[in-house]
Amino acid sequence: MNFLYPFFLAGIVVIGLPILLHMIRRHTRKRITFSSLMFLRTTIPRFRNRSRPENLFLLILRCLIICLLAIAFARPFLEKPAKETAASIGKRVVLLIDTSASMKREDLWKQASEQALSVINNLKPTDRLCVINFDKNAQTIAGFEMWNELEPEQRVSVIKEEISKLSPTWSATNMGNALITAAEAIEDDEINDKMLINERQIILISDLQQGSNLDALNTYEWPEKTELIIKPVAAKKTTNAAMQIIASSNYLTQSDPNKLLRVRITNSADAVTEQFQLSWADNKPANASAKPVSVYVPPGQGIVAELPPGPNEITGCKLILTGDGQDYDNTLYLAPNLEQQINILYLGNDNIEDSKQMLFYIKRAFQKTGTLNFNITSLSTDAVLTEKNIKDSQFIIITDTLKSGQIKLLRQNMESGNTILLAMKSQEAGAVIAELAGLSRLDCKEASVNDYTMLGAIEFEHPILKPFSDPRFGDFSKIHFWKYRKISLDNAPQARVLARFDNDDPALIELPIEQGSLLVLTSTWQPSDSQLALSSKFVPLLYSILEYNGVLGNQQSQYFVGDTIQIPQKIISGTEKVQIRKPDGSVINMETRQEVFEQIDQPGFYTVESSAGNQLFAVNLPVQECRTSPLPIEDIERFGVAFTDAQENRTEQTGKVKAHQNFVEMEYQQKYWRWLFIALFVLLLAEIWLGGWLTRPSVLTQGEEK
Amino acid sequence: MKIKGVEPNINSETNQTKGMIDPVTLMKIKSMELRAKVIVEGFWKGIHRSPYHGFSVEFTEYRQYTPGDDPRHIDWHLYARSDRFYIKKFEDETNLRCHILVDHSKSMGYGSVGYSKAQYAGTLAATLAYFLFTQGDAVGLATFDSQIRQYMPPRNRPGYLHRIMLALETAPQGSSTDLSPPLKRIAEILNRRGLIILMSDLLTSIEKLEMDLGYLRANGHDVVLFNVLDPHELNFDFNTPAIFEDIETGKTFYVDPPAAQQDYAGKLQNHMASVKTICRNLGIDYHLFAINRPFDLALLEFLHDRMRRRKQIRHPGGSSVRSAV
Repeated sequence: MNFLYPFFLAGIVVIGLPILLHMIRRHTRKRITFSSLMFLRTTIPRFRNRSRPENLFLLILRCLIICLLAIAFARPFLEKPAKETAASIGKRVVLLIDTSASMKREDLWKQASEQALSVINNLKPTDRLCVINFDKNAQTIAGFEMWNELEPEQRVSVIKEEISKLSPTWSATNMGNALITAAEAIEDDEINDKMLINERQIILISDLQQGSNLDALNTYEWPEKTELIIKPVAAKKTTNAAMQIIASSNYLTQSDPNKLLRVRITNSADAVTEQFQLSWADNKPANASAKPVSVYVPPGQGIVAELPPGPNEITGCKLILTGDGQDYDNTLYLAPNLEQQINILYLGNDNIEDSKQMLFYIKRAFQKTGTLNFNITSLSTDAVLTEKNIKDSQFIIITDTLKSGQIKLLRQNMESGNTILLAMKSQEAGAVIAELAGLSRLDCKEASVNDYTMLGAIEFEHPILKPFSDPRFGDFSKIHFWKYRKISLDNAPQARVLARFDNDDPALIELPIEQGSLLVLTSTWQPSDSQLALSSKFVPLLYSILEYNGVLGNQQSQYFVGDTIQIPQKIISGTEKVQIRKPDGSVINMETRQEVFEQIDQPGFYTVESSAGNQLFAVNLPVQECRTSPLPIEDIERFGVAFTDAQENRTEQTGKVKAHQNFVEMEYQQKYWRWLFIALFVLLLAEIWLGGWLTRPSVLTQGEEK
Repeated sequence: MKIKGVEPNINSETNQTKGMIDPVTLMKIKSMELRAKVIVEGFWKGIHRSPYHGFSVEFTEYRQYTPGDDPRHIDWHLYARSDRFYIKKFEDETNLRCHILVDHSKSMGYGSVGYSKAQYAGTLAATLAYFLFTQGDAVGLATFDSQIRQYMPPRNRPGYLHRIMLALETAPQGSSTDLSPPLKRIAEILNRRGLIILMSDLLTSIEKLEMDLGYLRANGHDVVLFNVLDPHELNFDFNTPAIFEDIETGKTFYVDPPAAQQDYAGKLQNHMASVKTICRNLGIDYHLFAINRPFDLALLEFLHDRMRRRKQIRHPGGSSVRSAV
C-alpha cells in the first residue's frame, strides 16, 4: 500500500485528541441553577484519575474515524507492476501537417517532413498517434483506428511511409478547421477507446503564415486538457509580394481595348525588398506599351498598379511578378470571360421603335452586357414561323394571336422543356392560350377596371418571383394596371397563379405543358395597359424568367484553387463527351451532364473541351495564401487554445516526476479513497448514534435543573 | 465535607429537634396562617414550664415627679406612703411595633429540600407575626429585593394578620438582592422605635450592611437578623460537575464541585463571619437558619435570645428600651 500524499498521514497524531477528551472530565451538559455564584469560580476540567478511559467503544470509533480521514486524504493506492502502469500513461498525439501552398516556399516542406519524422521517432510505445494533413480541408492520413490496427512494430514505418507520400498542395490554409478536426479526433478516440490516457497533444507543423484562416475557432470551445505544441518551419527569404485583380475580372471582353487592368500588389510585413516588376508572360503584347511595369510597395502595404491589357487571346494570359523572394505565387492567370449569345424570338406585330408598344421595351430590357449578347428577332404573326426560328431561340415572347400551325410548333417547343411568355393584349389571346395549353376552352373577357388595379397576392416562393421575396424588393404597389383580361381557370386545374390583382383576378399564370410551361401575363407592359415596363421590376422580372427558362448560365471564368467550376450549360447540353484539360496537361473526362468540376487543385488554365467548343477558365492561388508573414502565436492563444512551448516539451522529465505521474495514474484508477469515505460516513453515523445514546438525559437529582 | 463554623451550629440542635415538628411535613400545609398557628400553639404547649412565659405589664422604676410630667402617671399609693410624688414607669409592652422585613429576591426562590428559602422565611415570619399578634403587639411587614416591594405598617387590628399572611404567601418576584436601598428606606419610614426582624439569605455584597443596619440602630430600633440558607448553600455538597447558573444574574460557568468545595466553604465562612462581626458591633441579634430546621426550634432560640438580651440590657444599665419579648 502506497500513498500519494503521505504527509496527510501526519493527521493520525490527532488520534490523541479523542483519547485526551475521554480522559478529561468533560464539560457536562447538566445545568444546575444555584442561588448565587458569588462564592464560586469556574473550574478547569481535570484529568480523570482513572487509567482507563470510559466508553471504550466510542473512543475506538472516534480514533478509527480520524485514522480513516487521514488515510483517505493521503490517497492510498496499491502499486501495480510497471508494465501495466506504463500502458496507462501514454498520450494521445495528433500530428497536424500543413500542406498548403505556402509550404512550397524554399525548403519548408523538407523542414516539415523532418519535424514530422522527429515527432514520430520520439513517440513512446504507449502513445497513440493520428496524422492529419491540412490545407483548405483537413484529411486524416493515419487515424487512431489505424494506429490500433497496426502491429506496434509496424506503426512507425507505416506512418512514415504515409507522410512521405504527402506534398504541399496549391490550396489555401484553413488552420482553424484543422485544429478543430484534430481536437475532435482526440475526443472521439477517448470515447471509442477506453484506455485511460489523460494527456492530449496536438503537434502542429506549419509555416504559420498570416493567411492561415483561424475563423473556425471563433465558434469552438477549445477542450481544456488538449495542448497545442507548435513546431514552426520558417523560410529564409521573407519578402513575398502577391497579386490580386481588383477591377472587373471580365476586362477582356470590355468594349474599350485600351482600358487598364488594375492589380493590387501587396508586400509582406517582413519584406526586405520593396521594388517589383510586372510583366506579361507572352512575348506578343497587344500594343507597344505593354512593357514591364515597376511598382514600389513598402513592407506590409499594398498598392494598386494599373497595367495595359495583356494579349487578348483565347488562350488567356499570364501576368508575372518578379523581384520577391518566393516564386510560388508570382503568376496571375487571366482567362477571357464567357460570352453568351441569347436569341429572343418576339412573336407580335409591334413596331420596335414605337414606345407605346411592347417590343420597344423588350429591346431596351435586353441590352448587351459584358457577358450576355442578346439578339432579338421580331416576327409578325402573319410571317411564317419555322422550326428553325424556334430552335435558334432561347426565349420566346408572344404578344398577339397566332395561327394554329404556329401554335403547334410553339407547343412542341414547350413540351421539350422551354418556357414561353405570353402577354395578353386582348381577350382573343384566350383562345391561343387554350390551344397552347391543350385546354378545351378558356373563358376570357376584358376586365372592367375602376381607375386602376395593382398586384395583390404574389407567390414569392416561385423561382420567377423569388428574387423579389426580400421586403426591400417586394413592393409592387407602384405598378398600376389600367387594363387586363379576366381569365377563368375553371378548365385549367393545373394552372398555377403566381400573382393576382388586388381584386383576386389572376395576373400571372403558369400553365405547365409537359416538361416546359407557358407563362401568361393577363395584362401587358405597354403604357396604355400598365406601368410595368416603366417600373424597376420589369427588367429583373424578365431576367428571372430567362433564368427560369435555363437560358442564363455561368459567366465566371476566374477561379481560385479549391473552388468548383460551373460547366456552361451550352457545353453540357450540346454534347455528350466533355473533358477537362488541367494545367499540367492531364485530361479528365466528365460524366454525362455533370454540371460542376471540383478537382481544381492547381493554378493555371483549365480547358473544358467538347464538340460544342472549348472554354477556358483561369485558376489562381487564393490571395490569403500569399500572406506569408508569420502569424503571432497570440492570435492562436486568444481562442483559448492551451499552448505549450515546444522547447519546454522537449525537456526531459526527471525520474521522480515520472514516478509521481505513475502513482497519480494508479491512484486515479483505483480510487480507494472513495471506499474510505463511505466507511468514514458509516462510522460517523455509528459514532453519532452511540454518543447520543451514551449521553442521553438521566433522571434529575433534587435541586438540579436540566 | 463539612463547613467549619456552620455545620456544628446546626448539628448541635439534633437533640433538641426531638419532638419538634418536621418542617418538610409542616410546609405541606398550604395555608400560611394555619402553618403559623400550628407552630405557635405547639410552641406554647412545649414551653409551658418555661420561666419566660406569662409576660405582662411590668414595673420598671420610679422617678421623682418634676413639673411638666403627666400627673396621670403619679403613683398615689406611694405618695400616701411617702408624701412624695413619684412617677411610676412601666415597660411599654402594648405599644411594641414589630416590622418584619422579608427578602423576596430571586435567590430566595432557591431551595433543595422541597421548599424554597422564601417559603421558609415566609413561614417563619408568619409564625413570629402570629405569635406577636396573639400578644397584642402591632406587626407590620415589608418585602424587598433591591427595593421595597410591598409595605404594611405595624397594626394590631382584627383581620390584619390575615392580610400579612396573604402577603407572605406571595412568591418572590424580585431580581437581585441589594439590602442597602430597602434598609435606607425603612430607616426613613419608621419614625417610632420598634423591633425590626430582617429575614434574608444575605447572598449579596455586605460592604454597606454595617452602615445601613447602623441607621436603624441609630434610630433606636431593635434589630434581629435571620440569615436563612439552604443546606446546599451551607455545605455545597454537589457531586457531579455541571454548568452552574446564577438564579439572579443568569451567569453560568462550569463547576466541578469537589474541586470548588473548599474554596466555596472558605468564602462562605468569611462572608458569614463578616456578617456576624457587623451584628456584634451593632448589637444586633444574628440567627442562622438552615431551612431544614424546625420552626419552633427557631422560635425558641429567638425568644431565648430576646430574653437573654433583655436581661443583659436591664441588669447593667437599668433604664433601657423595654421589650415585650
